[in-house]
Amino acid sequence: MSDLTAARRDLEAALGADAVLADPLALRLYARDASMVEGSAGLVVFPRSPDDVVACMRVAAAHDMPVVPRGSGTGLAGASTPIGDALVVVTTKMNRILEVRPEDRLAWVEPGVFNLDLGEALAPTGFTYAPDPSSQQVSSIGGNVNTNAGGPHCLAYGVTSAHVLALDVVLADGSTARLGSEGPAAAGYDLRGVVVGSEGTLGVVTAACVRLTPIAPAVRTMLLDFERVADCAATVSAIVARGVVPAALEMMDRGIVRAVENFAHAGYPTDAAAVLLVELDGLEAGVEAQAREVQAAAREHAVGTVRVAADEAERALLWKGRKSAFGAIAQIAPHYHLHDCVVPRTKLAEVLAGIYAIARRHDLIVTNVFHAGDGNLHPLFSFDLSVPGTLDRVLAAADELVRLCVDAGGALSGEHGIGLEKRDFMPLVFTEDDLSAQACVRSAFDPDGRMNPHKVLPDGARCGDYAAAALARAGELPEGTWI
Amino acid sequence: MDLIHPHTAGEVAEALRTASAGGTRLLVVGGRQHIDKGNPTEVDGELWTTLLDRTIAYDPAEMLCVVEAGMRIRDLMAMLAEGGQEWPVDAPGDATVAGVIAADVALPRQLRVGTLRDTVVEMDLVMGDGRHVRSGARTVKNVTGFDIHRLLTGSLGTLGVITQVALKVRPLPKAVRTLVTAEGGLELGRRVLDTVPLPAAVLAAPDHIAVRVEGWPEEVAEQASALGGITSFTDADPAMFPPPLFPDAPIVAEPALAPSKLGSLLDAVDDFRALMGVGFAWVPCADADELSRLRARAGELGGIAPVRRGPGGLSDSAVPASQIQRRIKAAFDPANVLAPGRCF
Repeated sequence: MSDLTAARRDLEAALGADAVLADPLALRLYARDASMVEGSAGLVVFPRSPDDVVACMRVAAAHDMPVVPRGSGTGLAGASTPIGDALVVVTTKMNRILEVRPEDRLAWVEPGVFNLDLGEALAPTGFTYAPDPSSQQVSSIGGNVNTNAGGPHCLAYGVTSAHVLALDVVLADGSTARLGSEGPAAAGYDLRGVVVGSEGTLGVVTAACVRLTPIAPAVRTMLLDFERVADCAATVSAIVARGVVPAALEMMDRGIVRAVENFAHAGYPTDAAAVLLVELDGLEAGVEAQAREVQAAAREHAVGTVRVAADEAERALLWKGRKSAFGAIAQIAPHYHLHDCVVPRTKLAEVLAGIYAIARRHDLIVTNVFHAGDGNLHPLFSFDLSVPGTLDRVLAAADELVRLCVDAGGALSGEHGIGLEKRDFMPLVFTEDDLSAQACVRSAFDPDGRMNPHKVLPDGARCGDYAAAALARAGELPEGTWI
Repeated sequence: MDLIHPHTAGEVAEALRTASAGGTRLLVVGGRQHIDKGNPTEVDGELWTTLLDRTIAYDPAEMLCVVEAGMRIRDLMAMLAEGGQEWPVDAPGDATVAGVIAADVALPRQLRVGTLRDTVVEMDLVMGDGRHVRSGARTVKNVTGFDIHRLLTGSLGTLGVITQVALKVRPLPKAVRTLVTAEGGLELGRRVLDTVPLPAAVLAAPDHIAVRVEGWPEEVAEQASALGGITSFTDADPAMFPPPLFPDAPIVAEPALAPSKLGSLLDAVDDFRALMGVGFAWVPCADADELSRLRARAGELGGIAPVRRGPGGLSDSAVPASQIQRRIKAAFDPANVLAPGRCF
């Protein structure tokens, strides 16, 4: 009996036959996420409880299989693409909202709950879960936690990490732990903080305690258009310089505006070079004052028209334009490669010019829709892979783009993660010692390297020998030893 | 006792290599303002970070500043104020930037400004064995790699010496007021929290409640009028927030628990300050017995109660996932020279 057959038998015994997929079509479907990378799944399993996840880990250990946690599979960096016939642990069937406690400003949810469903469930309480990735209709809280997901409203409210109080996790050895706490501080090092954004490399999240944020009583949404991209980008810094931190500050260039307008009919100006979607929230009086500042900042940079949403319906329409961008681009070409990098806010105009130049050099269409307030760019290259040589041009452009952003003082990823797609770029921003320290953190959670191997860190990164020896000794110390 | 007072990160690294080679145990010291928070630890010397006090970069348009670890809070705030901004940490002026981070201090205005740990976006540190490590990035948003800077935040100097940080800063509010009610108690505190829209802090005491409101002048007026609708209040000097916490008490504990459990904890004590909707409280204790009773109760309620000032440290309660915690400590400080036992 092959290992996979034996592992399948053990999983079926522990979780039931209907919890395990092993047919070729299923394995093919789960061999990738929403990135461009394809891998190979050994088995796919759907736990329904933390105990099921523990059983998965034990079976994986017994059969020496790598484990790849997966939520909805909307990840864009390949973090849930299985490598080497891994066991794919899909958490979508653990999808209950366990507790909502407005008096504690928290909720406990299972990892498979969709982001948008959580928001809707909370609405009657007057609170919300602030992170709102564009994938929120289908992306799960477990996936959001593992990518430290962002979204338009993270400018004012912070990314996922700021909204996760505690996590229940199952570790590679099948043990369980609660990291963080329901209160504002917890004992020991902030392990919760490293698990958020760890892309499934440290354990499987089986429940998340998320922070509830009061819904602001007033909100104002405005669309500003510009004849020059540089003016649009400069307005971003000018708004911030006036002491205004909008709830969201999104920029879209002409290419994306035209695609969106065809699709969403939101009344976006298709002749503008770029538009800014600005949302302000707070108390009514404060929102008024901020709106005046935003308009003054925009006038300094040759704004065209300023459209203020008159009511909730118009606001929803403006947001529909923004949030449907990635559906709309299918009109441009059959394939796309979406990027995610961050640059200092003041370098936006310069980096955008560089991005247009890269696209011209490689004969690709590029459009931009992104979180301008955070300096978080999402250049989107559109192309047709049936044209010979296209993939090479796409990859060459990707390489240049990453270097452009890093040279501008930026980071490799603002919200999509490193996964497989960017792990070999890690030495561009980290030294060998930096990567070694990160490898030590990973080893501390998972000494055997079973969790999502080959992701995030380049394969060469190792926890140094000296530290590794000390680490191994620490593992042998009895529980409760002070070190 | 040795005293090491380095001028540069290179000197910090040299000192730690030497300490690790010789087994010299060190306590990392900033402004000594939050030093009581850790457990007692026996050391052979102290490493002071206060000469690492340069500004590396500050551009208000980025809402980020990069400073060395030993910069005093007073100097940082003065620099940021010139850019119309603040790092929203209400710590004593003598405290240092890295001291505040290593102690993961509670932010009284958390409801409005968030938590300290989310303001630290990049960190340079020297590990126990003398290696330089950088974590994070100098951007407001970043998910590149494992966030070592989060482990160091609150690590009380036991994983490495922080030498430099990039901090997310925010605009100074255009208007601030501290409104003090004539009556107090947790029940009224809860009503204030439910009534005043988007307050920065509701700090309840048995006999009064201090409500901090911040924002645009029109917002602050709206918030004050909402408070006036449920109780009478007077304005306190807004520069005096947070008010001093029990300066005469020998011990001040800082319990942290789910906000709705504050009542069960504070029922049994005579005096307190409780941060409504957040779950921090400050409680004066006359002696170790009082502290340990408070701790036991906080533990039953699922919380913790380290000291903010005075003897008692963090207590000997268990840390979650202790094996992982110990492995991390061993990897970052292989010779175990950084304040052994101070964190757990």
